[in-house]
Amino acid sequence: MNHSATKPLVELSHVTKTFPTASGMFSALKKVSLTIPKGQLVSITGKSGSGKSTLLNIIAGIDKPTEGGVRINGIQVDKLSESALAAWRGKNIGVVFQFFQLLPTLTILENTMLPMDFCDSYPKKERRDRALLLLDQVKIKEQADKLPSALSGGQQQRAAIARALANDPPLIIADEPTGNLDSQTATSIFELFAELTRTGKTVIIVTHERDFFSYFENTFVITDGILTNEPLNA
Amino acid sequence: MMKTRYWKVIRDLTSDYAKSSMLILAIAIGVFGIGTILGSYSVIKREMAVNYLGTNPASATLEIEGSLPQGLTDSVKKIDGIKEAERHATVVARMKVEERWYPILLFVVDDYHHKRTNKWTPVSGDSIPSTGSMLVEQTALVVMQAKQGDEILIKTSNGVARKIKVSGTVHDPGLAPAWQEQSGYGYISLSTLHALGESQGFDQLRILVNEKDQFSREYIKDKATSVAHYLKTLGYAVHEIQVPPAGKHPHQSQMSTVMSIFIVFSFMILILSSILVSTSMAMIMVKQIRQIGVMKTIGANSMQVTGMYLLMIVLLCMAALILAIPLSRLAAVAFYNQLAVLLNLEIRNTAIPYWVPLLQVGSGMGIPLVAAAVPVIRGSRISVKNALDNYGVALQAMNDPSVIVRFASLNFLNETFRLSIRNAFRQRSRLALTLGLLAAGGAMFMTALNVSEAWEDNLKRIYLQRLYDLEVRFTDPVRTDTIVQKLKKLPGVKAVEAWDYAATAISTTHSTEITATYPDKGHGSFTMLALPVGTPLLNLTLTEGRWLNDPSARDVVLNQSAKGLFKMGDRISLSIEGIRSEWKVIGFTEDVGSHATAYVSIHVFSQLVNTPGKAKMLRIAYDDRSKKNAIIRNQEVEALLEKEHISVASTIPVWLLRNAVASHMKVLVNSLLAMAIMMALVGTLGLMSTMSMSVFERTREIGVMRAIGATPVKIRNLIVWEGLLIGGFSIGIAFILSLLLSSYMGKTIGNMAFRTPLSLTVSFVGLVIWIIVIVLGSWLATLFPARRAGKITIREALAYE
Repeated sequence: MNHSATKPLVELSHVTKTFPTASGMFSALKKVSLTIPKGQLVSITGKSGSGKSTLLNIIAGIDKPTEGGVRINGIQVDKLSESALAAWRGKNIGVVFQFFQLLPTLTILENTMLPMDFCDSYPKKERRDRALLLLDQVKIKEQADKLPSALSGGQQQRAAIARALANDPPLIIADEPTGNLDSQTATSIFELFAELTRTGKTVIIVTHERDFFSYFENTFVITDGILTNEPLNA
Repeated sequence: MMKTRYWKVIRDLTSDYAKSSMLILAIAIGVFGIGTILGSYSVIKREMAVNYLGTNPASATLEIEGSLPQGLTDSVKKIDGIKEAERHATVVARMKVEERWYPILLFVVDDYHHKRTNKWTPVSGDSIPSTGSMLVEQTALVVMQAKQGDEILIKTSNGVARKIKVSGTVHDPGLAPAWQEQSGYGYISLSTLHALGESQGFDQLRILVNEKDQFSREYIKDKATSVAHYLKTLGYAVHEIQVPPAGKHPHQSQMSTVMSIFIVFSFMILILSSILVSTSMAMIMVKQIRQIGVMKTIGANSMQVTGMYLLMIVLLCMAALILAIPLSRLAAVAFYNQLAVLLNLEIRNTAIPYWVPLLQVGSGMGIPLVAAAVPVIRGSRISVKNALDNYGVALQAMNDPSVIVRFASLNFLNETFRLSIRNAFRQRSRLALTLGLLAAGGAMFMTALNVSEAWEDNLKRIYLQRLYDLEVRFTDPVRTDTIVQKLKKLPGVKAVEAWDYAATAISTTHSTEITATYPDKGHGSFTMLALPVGTPLLNLTLTEGRWLNDPSARDVVLNQSAKGLFKMGDRISLSIEGIRSEWKVIGFTEDVGSHATAYVSIHVFSQLVNTPGKAKMLRIAYDDRSKKNAIIRNQEVEALLEKEHISVASTIPVWLLRNAVASHMKVLVNSLLAMAIMMALVGTLGLMSTMSMSVFERTREIGVMRAIGATPVKIRNLIVWEGLLIGGFSIGIAFILSLLLSSYMGKTIGNMAFRTPLSLTVSFVGLVIWIIVIVLGSWLATLFPARRAGKITIREALAYE
């Protein structure tokens, strides 16, 4: 695959993140620079506490770097205010969590419609049809009116992916999305992510599971806050 | 179509019925209290004015020596500013009910066809009594144990006992209910008065000033003085002008004070309910912190999240309002009907003003919203990262104050108990709110019982201050030496003393003294009571100065109602029977159940009014002070006085006085108790909420404890102990608060009912009941959370995210 021709969607330059702790300042990320082109399925891996979740949070605009810059889809994200960031995140980033984090009192359909409501991204009348379309895409349309608790882990994760796609964001970020699933279900989820990249989405996944590395076009390894190889498959 | 986020709000509320119901109930209690009190108060205030002003209450009553002739009123009406004038007479007589004599006020009406002042509404039977019959105020029928058509034996001071037929009943809202005063009220004609053996004519002139000035007391005083001058020019001596507070029912200011206290209490309940809402919303925010993080991750901004949780409060408030407003209207109807009985009012317009439900909606929405705004805004503004990283109780909250650490380290304490102490202090702001709720509830509960007990104690003080059992009043001064000796010889009589009395007034520049006495001659009156200075029959509480000790000194001791702005050593001018006299103030007393009174030496008094050796009052003490004995002895005293042909104006047994005072305010003390119970309920709900929150927050921690060997029973005990500890702390605070509150409430209610503040009384029954309520309430409040905590499996707890 020729990546040099693809425009980068994610650009991090010299990103450092430090946290105050009882024993002094702790650097979770140290001068990390990376670029991820549009339409790729990439992974970030590393040991526990290596800084991969911090990196993911910074890309998602959940956290801000102490130093350095973050540019996503041409927007200098680290310079946005909290409210601008919230609006930007809702429309540009789809987040998938390890524990699915579907809102327990809303049905699967409503969970999928919720980002459209918050971002006012689609006309009210179209939201339901779009949510059903997305649920169909992730193959759980028939579960639309059920509460999350009535679904299996795999189905819940599919619903979470549908929700992440609700506002049609260019970038999907997933933190250990299969960490709580059996291997068969995990495979189906990775296939789903791969399918998304074919529709033009960029997907960044934090994972430990080496079995699925073949799905990734790039893998970033992070050790003690330092990006040790960039990218693994480049 | 409703926005998806609002569905979440509704589902969140309906998914936890118990919690939502508790919050709705808490807000509803406050809104209910406000609606009940304000609803009834607004109706009573309006109806009190309508009822009272509807009677055309006389602006002033002029007491005249002798009788006023027919036709005089026409000439009085010609005086500038006088709208109406009417002749009248009020006679204090006695009536026999079940072989006992009770006081009865007889109102002698000049012209029943054209009644101008102090009108009444006919209820049944005749509207004009013929000679030998009377109309009776409807509340007096109970006291008289009579019904229309019955005959009542009545005796005036100068006459003979004669049966008078009850030919009709009326409602006179200008009078306090007869059962409250333990007195009868009858309306008769002058011919009936004469038939009762009295020869007097109309000795009162009631005047009504022009409408535009009817509420100006100064104007009324001025006009009444002009009328008095006019009467004097005609040769009539006016010895007293009575100008009661203009346009005000005798109980109006008292009722306003009591209701104001109730309104404050109602708002306090709502504020406390709102604190409960606030703590519960804080709990919901903690519970949903991760969901907030998720919502923000998928595009929600802080405003949208805040809006969602505020909507949650609005929905809870709406449910509470839907529940509370109709119920409070029903309760208001019941309450104002009770108050109407207490005030002798007839509720003609039952409509509760529109502003009451509006205020309920405003306060029922506004106060909880304001109270919950802090946790909601704080929770909604949390950053996505902090929300997603949240693991429950913050580490910094565990910095216990050293005293707690030390206490919790005491070796002799049970291990579980020590951990409970530390846990109770982990979230100090929430602990403070819960303690506040419980302490306020407890304080009000104990206050109600303290006031109730102080009330009973004060009723006992009526006996302790009055060491006599019967007061006998004569119309005219009688020689007392012989009758006193004869009475002393009666079996069971311990002491008899001759006293005297006269209506008095502080002398002013007016040529005739002006008092604030109402037509019932009780409310607003000021009496000079003349007694032997060393009397053993009175044991009043001296608040300042000393008691009378010199029989020939012009010393005066004033009770709390007469004290006014006077101070020790002042020289005051008092007027009795048209005679002015100078007195030196040597002391102040606090006596239970007395109108304004000035105590003076009978020796000086009799010289002043020129009745040496005579008196108009006897006070008699019995060996046995029981009501049963007093009734028998009173009959013997009455029989002897009758045998001696001494005309008695009235006899007032002390037990009757006690009953009269007791019935005045009891319903209000009971209402206070009802409010206290509502407070206790809100307080217990608060504790329940706190404990649920505490358990929820520590789900993971409980899992860890279970993993390292804590049994479910141990976990349950930990939670129950924590609840009991919080409850225990609240009792101490509640007790201190209750002392302050009891002092204030006792002062207000006491002044209204007894004309003296209630002493600060600690009801140990109240304290014990509250301790039981708290222990049981804490146990019940922790039961569910404790069971939940005990049931959390290690897997569930450790997987908790």
